Amino acid sequence: MKEKLDRLTENLDFSLLFAVVFLCFYGLLVLYSSTRLATTEGGDPYFFVKRQSLWALLGFIFFTIIIFIDYHNLERYSKVVYFGAIVLLIMVIFAGRATYGARRWLAIGPFDFQPSEFAKIALIAFLADFLSKNKQKLDNFFYYLLPFAYTGLLILLVFMQPDLGTSLVYLAILIIMLFVVGVKIKYLVFTFLAAISSIPVVWVFLIKDYQKNRWILFLNPNLDPLGGGYNVIQSRIAIGSGGFLGNGIFSGLQSQLNFLPAQHTDFIFSVVGEELGFVGTILLLGLYAIILWRGIKIALEARDLLGTLLAAGAVSFLFFHIVVNIGMAMGMFPATGLPLPFLSYGGSFMISNLMAIGILLNVELHKVKW
Amino acid sequence: MRESSTVPEDVKQRLNWLLIFVVICFAILVISLWYLQMIKGEEFKKRAVENCIRSLVEDAPRGRIYDRQEELLVTNRPAVVVSIIPAEVDNLEKLSERLSRIIAISSEEISQIVKNYRENPFKPVKILDDCKTNKIIEIEERKDELKGVVLELKPRRNYLYHDFAAHSLGYVGEIDKEELQRFGNPKFQGGDIIGKAGLEKYYDDILRGEKGGKEVEVDALGQEIATLLYQKPVPGKDLVLTIDKDLQLYGENLFFGKKGSIIVSDPNSGEILALVNRPSFNPNIFANGISNSNWQRLSSDADYPLTNRSVQGLYPPGSIFKVVTAIAALEEGVTDRKRKIYCSGSIELAGQVFTCWKETGHGSLSIVDGIAHSCNIYFYTLGKDLGIERFNEYMQKLGLGEKTDIDLPAEAIGIIPSAQWKKREVKEIWFPGDTINLSIGQGYLLLTPLQVHTIICAIAANGEIYKLHLVKKIISADGKTVMEIKPELYKKVDFSPDTFQIIKEGLRQTILKGTGWRANIKELAVAGKTGTAQNPQGETHAWFIGFAPYDNPEICITVFLENGGEGGEAAAPIARAMLEKYFNIKN
Repeated sequence: MKEKLDRLTENLDFSLLFAVVFLCFYGLLVLYSSTRLATTEGGDPYFFVKRQSLWALLGFIFFTIIIFIDYHNLERYSKVVYFGAIVLLIMVIFAGRATYGARRWLAIGPFDFQPSEFAKIALIAFLADFLSKNKQKLDNFFYYLLPFAYTGLLILLVFMQPDLGTSLVYLAILIIMLFVVGVKIKYLVFTFLAAISSIPVVWVFLIKDYQKNRWILFLNPNLDPLGGGYNVIQSRIAIGSGGFLGNGIFSGLQSQLNFLPAQHTDFIFSVVGEELGFVGTILLLGLYAIILWRGIKIALEARDLLGTLLAAGAVSFLFFHIVVNIGMAMGMFPATGLPLPFLSYGGSFMISNLMAIGILLNVELHKVKW
Repeated sequence: MRESSTVPEDVKQRLNWLLIFVVICFAILVISLWYLQMIKGEEFKKRAVENCIRSLVEDAPRGRIYDRQEELLVTNRPAVVVSIIPAEVDNLEKLSERLSRIIAISSEEISQIVKNYRENPFKPVKILDDCKTNKIIEIEERKDELKGVVLELKPRRNYLYHDFAAHSLGYVGEIDKEELQRFGNPKFQGGDIIGKAGLEKYYDDILRGEKGGKEVEVDALGQEIATLLYQKPVPGKDLVLTIDKDLQLYGENLFFGKKGSIIVSDPNSGEILALVNRPSFNPNIFANGISNSNWQRLSSDADYPLTNRSVQGLYPPGSIFKVVTAIAALEEGVTDRKRKIYCSGSIELAGQVFTCWKETGHGSLSIVDGIAHSCNIYFYTLGKDLGIERFNEYMQKLGLGEKTDIDLPAEAIGIIPSAQWKKREVKEIWFPGDTINLSIGQGYLLLTPLQVHTIICAIAANGEIYKLHLVKKIISADGKTVMEIKPELYKKVDFSPDTFQIIKEGLRQTILKGTGWRANIKELAVAGKTGTAQNPQGETHAWFIGFAPYDNPEICITVFLENGGEGGEAAAPIARAMLEKYFNIKN
């Protein structure tokens, strides 16, 4: 045990760990600023912060467990994890709790959790195991399509909730992992072209009218000036008005007026922008950059392909969320409802973020044989 | 100790490409943030401090409704709503005080309404609906001291002829919680206006249109300085009804102060020319959001003015139903043109004595005379000979006990008693006496006036029953015909031509020498049947059904007077007046 701990301190990537812990505290501060005036039962201004801290602690427990299980055990349990995710997602469809017309939550005791978040980690583990074992076979085009089928099943289940954003995350994870494992570029290009050309077919035959409306709004929020478009305009003003130093924490004019319905979840970046300015947003981006850079480095230095792919999967998950969320807050992407890692309020998401970091450190720790 | 990595070189190559991609994405984010916060920062700061963005919903005007000659019946008028935008109010107490001096709402009430609303402080909260012009001017004049108050223009439903055809047209109102949950987002939001009854409800999707909205920037004084986004509302589509305004109005005037329905339709297409229901109500009082006292008055009125009697009211049809008995008996060979039955004024059947309405008796009658004089004894005998099972078959064939599928909501289906029905609902076995009662349209039998009307339509068109409907076509706001409603065969009953011929003769004789003589018109061959239905609510219901001209029916008519007395005395003259009006016969 002592030897294990020694190796831990010897091999652990402290800059990565530091960035994550810093981000969690940074997130709690911004969360407090954006929710302290929100009316909740009992009027506790720390309501959201307390809960989020609890999720973060829980996340660190998961994180610690993941670190100590050698990732090579995955060979035995990657399929179990994948099918477990599918079972949970099916349960959501039949027994999930619905909010705003979407079924996304499963209740365990007093808490609700979102299986689609854990499915992200499950997908990374499963794909890493599958792709590392079958790297050579992927040159065969039909074999190349197999991981699309596995991921497609998860996408379908999540799409039924309906949760468009999360299904896009699954797709991003798959594409980046396929890219990293070295499939032929022409296959990826072909897939892209096929996807684009199939849109009209899917549109006409598979998608119902109300789903079409959702897609139209997704592609062009300006069609719904009182919904998504409104948020984006307000968010841009909030970020822009922060200037260099920001208005100061707790003093964002737009943020404190509580005009953004999702300012503690999907639009929390606009609170950072308004209250902490360019300095605050660059600090945030810098912390994310450390995580992604260290993550790719871990992938490069991994002992074997399985480790590389696990790390690459974790990186792609965090990377996609970061870029899409911040891009959305600045009005560069349509509002898809993807939260910002370590900052957005939400228990399942916080835990899945920390599990991804756990995967990275696990690969790092096992780059040498113990 | 450390083994060399087994990760293939091509994978490492790909990871380096991934790193480059991540760097590019981050660079784009940094540049965008630089642009937004450093270059545009001052501008946005100004906008955030001085300007506010306001989103205003612009309701789509609801489709208009026309009569068959495309004369306007229902339209929209502009109404001004006084609202407050909570985020723009500096001092709510002072503002409420000032506003209450102009409009007749106390300042406490105003501030309470604003405080109770806490969803989105930038969304206007409605204070006063349909503000009067002089008050609008006063608010406009004092705009400077009323910061946070906005005037919104909203289309308001306007029923031009007030209680005219109110039950068919229906009314609109604000969507309620239940409806919001059922239809929900994104189609509807709280405060939306939807059809609540009648055609307004049935054709709500067509009439409603799609609301638009705009995002405007306003300065510190609340003046609009720029429109950021604008989506034009899509107006609803218009309905052209089959209703003839003049005929409908004529019928409503004939029925003034009475209770009941008149239905006039074309048996060859199912188009309804008049659908009179009395007593009526004024749908305009719903358009403004009905007041509690008005609602109490309307919903607790013992005469049920909100009920559409012709589609929702259930009544015993009385002697009108004898034509159904006659059809069944003729088709089953229980009787024919020649069979005579003697009426002495009473008869003993199944151990019970049944009487005719004519105590002295009708003497010996053929079926044509039986119909013409509405002899009870004749039809008791047919009913007894038929038996309930065979009798039921024909009711079913005629579509009785089913909805007529008229384009109105909440249609009732009525009660068609049968042996099984009685066992289930009354927990008693079926007695032969029940069949005998049924043969003259009494007993458990209950029909809507519209169902009764389909009986006469079926006879007039020799068995072809067209779906009754009120909408002729749907036109878009720019006047193009979107859809034309074609006659649709609802049911085809294959009774023999002889049966129809005998029944029609009976109906013609009813007018010429029988109980319907008050509907006789010299210039026009009318055929019809009267009915006087006993009911537990008191005075008998008066019925008349008929068609004209006899040889080539153009229209069918049903007149129903709730507790109106005798069919021949009360209903037949009204049918006559309606027919004279339709065929333009001066009297």
